Amino acid sequence: MTGKLKDKYCIVGVGETEFSKNSGRSTRALATEAVRNAMNDAGLNPDQIDGMLSYHGGDSTTSTSVMYDLGMRLNFYMDCSGGGSSTEALIGIAVGAIEAGMCETVAIFRAMNGYSQVRIGGTGAKASTLVSGPDIMKRSYGLISAVQSFAFTFTRHMMEYGVTGEDLAHIKVAHSNHASNNPKAIMKNRVTIDDVLNSRWIVKPVAHLLDCCVETDNSTCIIVTSAERAKDMKQQPAYIMAVQGRGTKPGGEYHYQKGPISTVAGHYIGPRLFDLAGVTHDDIDVTGCYDAFTYTTLLQFEDYGFCKKGEGKDYVRSGAINLGGRRPNNTSGGHLCEGYTHGMNMVIENVRQLRGQVDDYCPEWQEGKHSHDYSEGKCRQVPDVNITMNMGWAMPAVGSALIMRR
Amino acid sequence: MPVYEYKGQGINITDNDSEYKGYFDAASEHKLVVKKCQDCGMLRGEPGPGCPWCTSLKWEWQEVSGKGTIYSYQIVAHSIIPGFRDWVPYAIVLVELDEQSGDPTPDDGLRITANLLNDNMEPEAEENVAIGKRVEVAFLDTDDGLSLPQFKLSNEAPKGEVWRYPV
Repeated sequence: MTGKLKDKYCIVGVGETEFSKNSGRSTRALATEAVRNAMNDAGLNPDQIDGMLSYHGGDSTTSTSVMYDLGMRLNFYMDCSGGGSSTEALIGIAVGAIEAGMCETVAIFRAMNGYSQVRIGGTGAKASTLVSGPDIMKRSYGLISAVQSFAFTFTRHMMEYGVTGEDLAHIKVAHSNHASNNPKAIMKNRVTIDDVLNSRWIVKPVAHLLDCCVETDNSTCIIVTSAERAKDMKQQPAYIMAVQGRGTKPGGEYHYQKGPISTVAGHYIGPRLFDLAGVTHDDIDVTGCYDAFTYTTLLQFEDYGFCKKGEGKDYVRSGAINLGGRRPNNTSGGHLCEGYTHGMNMVIENVRQLRGQVDDYCPEWQEGKHSHDYSEGKCRQVPDVNITMNMGWAMPAVGSALIMRR
Repeated sequence: MPVYEYKGQGINITDNDSEYKGYFDAASEHKLVVKKCQDCGMLRGEPGPGCPWCTSLKWEWQEVSGKGTIYSYQIVAHSIIPGFRDWVPYAIVLVELDEQSGDPTPDDGLRITANLLNDNMEPEAEENVAIGKRVEVAFLDTDDGLSLPQFKLSNEAPKGEVWRYPV
């Protein structure tokens, strides 16, 4: 049944800092800049934002700091523990908080020195802590990083459906082509299938170096309010048609005890999302599918139903996901090329796609004038984007998803 | 229990660790154990406090044969734990134990994560690592007194299709 809150809430402002490998400043400084940029994008003053949500893995600042730094007073805030797939979940929580009357307008931020300070997988600043609890069963066996923790799912999927490294490389190639038209992207160079296959192995047989995202220092912000309030605001709203937050597979953290391990959370929450939004896959013009690794993207296309199970390899090879294709994916370059943000940048990109104001190399992008020439160093705006979908990933067992319209 | 030093990491198995301490206590006697529900009798591969089948909080440790089949694998080519760098490339395997395999549904099984080692307790050559191969438990005793359940290839015929990605 179509959701009762469909189109009643929207994203009215987005912003970020520079994506870099050495920000040279605190996560508090990064978050303050990103929230300020989103506030300015929305045309809001500090006293018009009274809610704040953030997520972190012990690597970020607090809402109560950022509110001080921008002169706000809040009616609601939460700093949640979380990583990938938190973006869409917190958008849903923001809607809930406003609907409950706790606040009116929520700024959601993520800030991390993800390269220079706390690396994914607990290396860098966190490396010296004692290993206890469930980590004993992983780190004692040399299993620590994200791709290692996902690899049993990926390898088994390769066996069951005949996926090759070359299939996966098509995802990186597409996203790198998109990033070449994104001035913000940390890796703007276009790569080839051979570049991916010839890059060094990280985990065999599922990830070469270029199948992995680029750890990045950055902060990002998304502002959510009601459609009613958005009427008077500066930007064309991106309406939230439906959202699903951090849905799980059976077994949760220990999903590999239950199986099938080659199926991911989207299989369970996807039908709920499309039902609430009242649309079908054919209605989706642009996707933002979490690309911590090329494999996360492929699996989610299958389990959210953009192709049949086992045909993700054909979908990514078909050209559909490329700019100029049927349903371009991660037009900013995503985590593989623009920068790793735990999902925020893919929602921000889709908001800009819906506005027709993607910040590419077209001289008049701010006026919504685009050439739609997708060759290197040119345009990345998709024409006439009506509906977008985001698919956030935490791990095979946990995901979130969001459908927006203009 | 003390904090064990293993490959540059401090492994801290605390006395109140009601999930994993018994697993390593048994390993120190070279026994592989899983938790068994005292109410419904089902085994579980992850030694959590509740029974995923009946929610009972009553459990006991149950020794298992240590025989199983590789259900999935990975070869770590780039180790980000410094102490594992001299092991690269090393295999981490997800082993489905023979007990309770495919029960109560075909997707269910008791699945244990460990390294695949050779007779010298060094990483097995990567070309020998494949889904479907039969394995048996082996215990790696560290100088510090920690015993880690690991797996070695067994001489038994494989179960079902043997598959490895050709790289």
